[in-house]
Amino acid sequence: MAAELTDRVRRIAEERGVSESEVFERALERGLKELWEDLVLAQYLDDELDREEAIERVGRAKVKRAERELEIVEEDVEWGLNA
Amino acid sequence: MTVVAVSDTGPLIHLGEIHSLELLDAFDRLYVPETVYDELERGGVPDGLEKLSFERLEPDEFQPETTELDPGERAALAVANEREAVLLTDDLAARDAAVEHGIDVHGSLGVIAIAYAHGLVDRDEAATLMRALQLETSLFVTEAIVERAIRKLEE
Repeated sequence: MAAELTDRVRRIAEERGVSESEVFERALERGLKELWEDLVLAQYLDDELDREEAIERVGRAKVKRAERELEIVEEDVEWGLNA
Repeated sequence: MTVVAVSDTGPLIHLGEIHSLELLDAFDRLYVPETVYDELERGGVPDGLEKLSFERLEPDEFQPETTELDPGERAALAVANEREAVLLTDDLAARDAAVEHGIDVHGSLGVIAIAYAHGLVDRDEAATLMRALQLETSLFVTEAIVERAIRKLEE
């Protein structure tokens, strides 16, 4: 896995014409953004954050997507437990 | 109650990625359309699929006309309609099309739930598999949703 990551970093750096450290920086930014969005959505779904605040932090599309996913997943689990 | 299901490629790939295709044994009968099987062969048949008991078939007529679905999804939807089977899909557009045609439709997380309900896995294993679906597969679902699903198992 480590070797695969090293290869990917090298490849991205070559193809994009940037340094490997810049690739790491962008990866960290993207990873943090995702973790932040997960946190906000989790707080919203757990009623620790209101909808408007969640929308302000991660955008309406992501909040609506989370609401749709939740509806689907709850439906699926309910069905599975009773099928 | 007899539960008959037909799967498109999504759940077969996602459950294959977490080495849990055997959870599909929770169904009394499982159909895999030839079109879906062909799609799997092109990307590499998931490990464990051949050990699973399923019937390969093609639908007779009904093929929903929509550009949003790929041929495998359309075939699975058609088989579900013909055989009155549950459609297993992780694709939102396929799910919407199924609901539109009055077909019962569920995804990979639902398969884990039914496997848990049928005693194929215990609650901890089901929770581990649900988290693995989110972390280790190409299925797009946010962490918060998976945690809600796990809590629902415990209710």
